[in-house]
This record gives sequence, C-alpha cells and structure tokens, in this order.
Amino acid sequence: MDLVDGNYELREIQKLQGHTDRVWSIAWNPASGTGDIPPVFASCSGDKTVRIWEQSPSSRFWDCKAVLEETHTRTVRSCAWSPSGKLLATASFDATTAVWENIGGDFECVSTLEGHENEVKSVSWNASGSLLATCSRDKAVWIWEVMPGNEFECVSVLQGHKQDVKMVKWHPTMDILFSCSYDNTIKVWAEDGEGDWCCVQTLSEPNSGHTSTVWALSFNAEGDKMVTCSDDLTLKIWETDIGRMVSGDVRTPWTHVCTLSGYHDRTIFSVDWSREGIIASGAADDAIRFFVESKDGLVNGPTYKLLLKSEKAHDMDINSVQWGPGENRLLASASDDGTIKIWELATIS
Amino acid sequence: MSEKFSPTLRIGDLSDFIAPSQACVVSLKGLKSNTKKPDKSEVSIAKKQQTEPVKISLKDCLACSGCITSAETVMLEKQSLGEFLSNIDRGKVVIVSLSPQSRGSLAVHFGISPLQVFRKLTSFFKSLGVKAVFDTSCSRDLTLIETCNEFVMRYKQNQSKDDEKSKSALPMLSSACPGWICYAEKQLGSYVLPYISSVKSPQQTIGATIKHHICQKMGLRPDEIYHVTVMPCYDKKLEAARDDFVSEVESKEESNESGIRITEVDSVLTSGEVLDLIKLKAVDFTALEDHPLDKMLTNINEEGHLYGVTGSSGGYAETVFRNAAKTLFGIEIRGPLAFKTIRNADFREVTLEVAGQVVLKFALCYGFQNLQNIVRKVKMQKCDYHFVEVMACPSGCLNGGGQIKPMPGQNPKDLLQSLETVYMENVLVADPFENPLVKSLYDEWLEEPGSQKAKRFLHTAYHPVVKSVTAQLHNW
Repeated sequence: MDLVDGNYELREIQKLQGHTDRVWSIAWNPASGTGDIPPVFASCSGDKTVRIWEQSPSSRFWDCKAVLEETHTRTVRSCAWSPSGKLLATASFDATTAVWENIGGDFECVSTLEGHENEVKSVSWNASGSLLATCSRDKAVWIWEVMPGNEFECVSVLQGHKQDVKMVKWHPTMDILFSCSYDNTIKVWAEDGEGDWCCVQTLSEPNSGHTSTVWALSFNAEGDKMVTCSDDLTLKIWETDIGRMVSGDVRTPWTHVCTLSGYHDRTIFSVDWSREGIIASGAADDAIRFFVESKDGLVNGPTYKLLLKSEKAHDMDINSVQWGPGENRLLASASDDGTIKIWELATIS
Repeated sequence: MSEKFSPTLRIGDLSDFIAPSQACVVSLKGLKSNTKKPDKSEVSIAKKQQTEPVKISLKDCLACSGCITSAETVMLEKQSLGEFLSNIDRGKVVIVSLSPQSRGSLAVHFGISPLQVFRKLTSFFKSLGVKAVFDTSCSRDLTLIETCNEFVMRYKQNQSKDDEKSKSALPMLSSACPGWICYAEKQLGSYVLPYISSVKSPQQTIGATIKHHICQKMGLRPDEIYHVTVMPCYDKKLEAARDDFVSEVESKEESNESGIRITEVDSVLTSGEVLDLIKLKAVDFTALEDHPLDKMLTNINEEGHLYGVTGSSGGYAETVFRNAAKTLFGIEIRGPLAFKTIRNADFREVTLEVAGQVVLKFALCYGFQNLQNIVRKVKMQKCDYHFVEVMACPSGCLNGGGQIKPMPGQNPKDLLQSLETVYMENVLVADPFENPLVKSLYDEWLEEPGSQKAKRFLHTAYHPVVKSVTAQLHNW
C-alpha cells in the first residue's frame, strides 16, 4: 500500500525526563536497533549535559544509561554519532566540539576540537566516518579529518555564510557538505579535486529558497532529494541528478521542487526524512507534522501531502524530531519543555 | 565579514584570511546600529540604534577582544594616503621603506622588473618630497640573523635541561606575520605565546634602525622623521600601531617629563594603496625615470643587482634551517632544500638527519586551516617540529590582503604564479650573514647578534588580550 493512502495515528510510547533545561537535539545511534542490539539515542541540553538513552529489550521501556557531564561549560547544542556508532560528537556554546568514545559502556571524552570563535551550533559525520564538520555563530564551517588514535586535523575553514550557521549535514552517500544559516541560505560545499573545499552552490531566495532563517535539512534514503525547514514557515523540497553526482560531478546542481506552505504558523526548527519516505517536522507551535510525496498531480511535478498532525505534542517549542533506526517507525522529539518523547507512527485499519 | 559595518566603516572590496567574524563590540557601546532580526534565543539581540559614523582607531582594535583582526574593516585614519601626503606638506622628513613583496606586486601590475619598480617608485616618491626610499629586504636580513641566533639558543636550551621553560623553547614559531600574532594574542592566549620568536618583523626592524640609528647618520632627530612602509598586508598597520613599538626618548634640552614618543613606523601603505596614489597623481608610472637607489639601507650591490634570500614569505624556515645545520651540526647544505608537501602546498616540511636520527625538523605553514593543526599540536605538546614558519595567508605574503587585486577576468591563481616568478627576478640569492650593510649595523650599533643592544632594539614581547566584559556579554 502506498504510504499516502494509509491511516495513521501517533502513539506516545514514553516521556523521558532527566534534563533540567531545554532539550536541543537528539541523535539515534545508527549501529543500534538492529538484530539484538537495543535502540540507543543521545540527547543534549541547555543543562550542559548529554544523556544516553537505551530501550530495555525486556520491558521495552527507555532508561537513561549515562550522563555525559563536566566537559562542556555551556549549552550542548547538538550531537552526532559516527556511522559505526562508536564515537559521539557533541557541539557546544562553549565554542568546542567534544568527541566521546564508548568504552565498555562508559563514555570517555577522547578529543576536544577548538577553533570556532564562539557557539558551535551543529556537528555532522560523513558517510564513511572519516570527516567531521562543525558550524558556528562565527559564520564559519570547519571540516576535520579523523586521524588514527582519535586525533583530528583541520582540513578546511569555510567562510561564506553571512550570519550564524545553524546546521551542517553531510550527504548520506557522497562527501558533499550542506550548511544552512540565519542568512536564509543553504550552501553546498565540495572538494575541488585539488584538495581545496569550496562552495559549489548557494540556495537562496532568488532560486526559490527560503526568506528567513533556515534551521535544518534532511535527505531521503536515495540522497537525490533534500528537505529544508525555515523560520519563513515553509518546508522546501530540493532534488538533484544523483547519477551525475555519483559519477563524480560534485557541482551537479540542486533545484527547487516544491514548497510546503500553509501548514505551520510558527518557526519550523527540525525536519527529518525517514528511510521509507515520511517527512517529520517539529515546530515552535508545539506540534509534529508528517508529510509524504503524493502521486496525484504528477503533471506539475510531485506534490507533498500532510499525512498527520499531532497538536500539543509537547508543552513548548519542539527543537528536534528524529526517526529511529529500526523498522517500526519510532520517532523521538525534544522540546523546550525539557522532555523527550518517544512516539510510534502506527497504521490504523 | 565587512558587510555588517556601515558604509563609512567599509573600505572596499578587501578580504583577509583571518576575517573578523562577529559584530564589532563597539556596537554595544551605542555607537553603531545593529540590524539583527529576532531569533530563537540562541543569540543576543541588540536594540536598533541611531546610526552615526564611527571612527575606530587601530589601537581600539588591538586592545579589543571582540574579533580577531579587522584592520581592513575599520577606518584607517592614521594609516591613510591623506595622512602620508599631509606629513610631507608639514615639512616632515619622510622616509619610505619598500617591501620586496610590494615591489613584486607592482612589477606584475606594470609588466616591468622589480628593480625597475624600485627605481621608478624612488623617482615617484622623491617627486612628492620623500627624502629616502629604503628596502625592507635589508632589515629582513637583520631579522633573519637574530632569528637564527635565537633558534640556536632555544635548541640548545631544549636539549640541555628538562624544566618547564626549556620544554617551551621549541617549537619556535616565526613572528613576522602580524595576522598570526594578532590571532595568537587574541584567540589562543598564553599557552602559545612563549613559542613565538621574540624577533621583530622586518618592518619593525627597519623602523627601529631608522629611528634609533640611521637618523643620527642623517643628522636628524628621530621625531623629525615620518617613516612609512609599503607592505603586502593590511595587518602590518595593526603591527605598526602596537605600543611595544613606541619608545620614549628623553628630551635633552628641556625638563620635559613625558619625553618624546618615537614610533618605529608612523604609517603603513599597502601595495594597492601605492597604486592608488600613482593613479591619484595621474603619473605614467612606466615612463618615470629610473632613479638611483638609496644605498644606505637597500640590498643592492656595486654592480647594481638586488640581493636577498629566497622564499616569498621571507625565507625564515630555510635560512634558520641552513644556519642551524651549520652551527649545530657542522653541515653545510648546498643546493635547494628538499621541502616535502604534507597536506597541501601550504604545509611543507624539511628534515635533517645525522647518523639516522632526525635532528632538525622544520615546517612552512601558511593559511588559517594549516595553522590550526600546528596550534592544536602545540597545545597538546605533540608538535615535533623544531621551527615553523607561520603565515596567516594561504600561499604566504605574496598573496597578502594588501596586494594589488587581480584584474577583471584574471584568475587569482595565475596572478600568484606570476608573482612567484617575478619575485626573485634578477635578485641574487645572498646569505644574510654576508650582507655588508647588516655587518656595519652590527659594527657601528648593535655589536653582535643577540647582544643587549640587539635585544633592546630588535626584539619584542607578546601579550594575551584579556577578554573584555563587553565581548563576553556579546558572546552570551
């Protein structure tokens, strides 16, 4: 059955408390939730800590397995697991990015990356785990190469954004980096073949881009489509010729497909595209929404349809929504209300 | 970068490689409007204010911890062409010291040789009333000799003792790049400063030489001289404005308590600003007479050939390497050094092995990102280089922010290639220790490398900039 034809409801599985300030971001461990490894995710907060949560295989309840504290001295704004799930990178307003290693269940800070002048806003690992990107209010995007022995070397410092950079994210298969900013643009960064990283495209208002801060972006499973969300109350879908890109043309352009407007009336802070194709968004109106591509009206290109809206999912702004790694449509959401909620998007017949 | 500054504060299409990246904190003192839109409480929001033209001096900029370097984005009142011209009019004895990188930039621009540029610029400046035009390759030889001497001392100290001070003797990091010094003082702070060479840059060395020694030979008081340098770099203006490079000379005649403040370099013009001056005076530059050069502080030999070291950023690593090999290990290296590219062309290293042991390991490290990796290793005490030639600009000084911009349609990489080629055109490679001008400066004035006098006039110190409360607030 087509996703768009189903009937769904969003079931709250559990509300997780522990953070003592707003929860900014969550990251599922990509190496968990498959086979007999229970799903695990990390959350980070204005309380300067990172918490690691795991689902008990027997009770199915989620427990906090570890609190990573006393390293960051200010808000931890975002976190990201390496593809192998062995390392966790955390970006903080204290201008540093910490890298933690899971050593027999204990998380040890194995490296601290300094260089940004002020608040680090986001961190992302590339598909192979060999590169790490960070961005900051200092308008710069940094790329680090992972060296043996948990050592990191700066590969590039990219200046181009005119304001605070909100998020960095690597393409799911290619070493192409995306960043979005308070300057309303999305920038695409790639290596020019001579070892220099440069901006290969800027998606801004003149090419159907956003008209206010771009807060987040996410890719579909194939990596040929991207969704971005903004303070301009819209979601935008972009696409590229993935075949041409994979064959080596890193300058393959991204083009605007459509704009999803009229659904949100407050800032959209987070968006995440599931592997099976459902887009989840979290916004300042405390609601979570789900969208899927609709095959109707293919004449004018693809359209996206609101699948479900969950009002009052949290008591305050929703800062992050992230799909779990398993098959059962688990979603975690993080909010200014200091809680994290685990949801299941269930089909009702 | 500069977009945030009001048009009065912007001075054109300039780009520095260590760019100021947050609003100048002067804005919080109510001087400048801030047009930020409201945002989720991730950043502080400044209220809109009335816009007034603001003048920020270079001294304000140096003392402030708000951003790293902004020589390019502040109003460069003291350092402008207007100031230069008015000092000539006021009857000051104006001396110009020309850098070899600026010479190269003008040579490529006009399609003539660096020597012709030097001669024609001498003609041009003298027509404006300038007294003498000197060459900073000459003072660079002084800088290099002092650097060699400091390195050998530090190397021996590092080998002999095992206390904290001896450990911080190496790696020795070069000190000629003001962008790097500014970054180290403002952003990195006290852990890195002890590693930086105490030797002044060629700009400040020639300033000290002119104001403390040559003026006497010219029969002038230091305060009668207005000394201008021509540099490839905007941050040289910040360097010239440092308090460390101002000294007080006691007045002999009166019981003037404060004395006379002597600034080594009164003003800095960039290569691009000199081109602007040439255009302003509507001079056909290539048609100017080839004026004889002022030999007092200029690397030109009897046959009329320019001479100096190789290395378009000053040749620090190469000169110190050769000298250390000879002084410490008795090895005379002939031919070019075998620099090995590490991560990219801006990060190269060279080593010397004695009996299978690496005894010298030097690096060239240009550009902000390569610099990060050196700094990171120094902080973790994992840096195994003995000496690093650090320059903030990618490709080094020939690519400085003050150089003449590429022509419309000209590829910046091609321009850089031409500059590299032209830089040593008809310049004889010469050992700084054999420079007769420098020899006589030691004989007449400085005594010997590393002497008390040399320390007093040719060395300096670095100070971490304490983060101001205003900057902290802004950083909320």
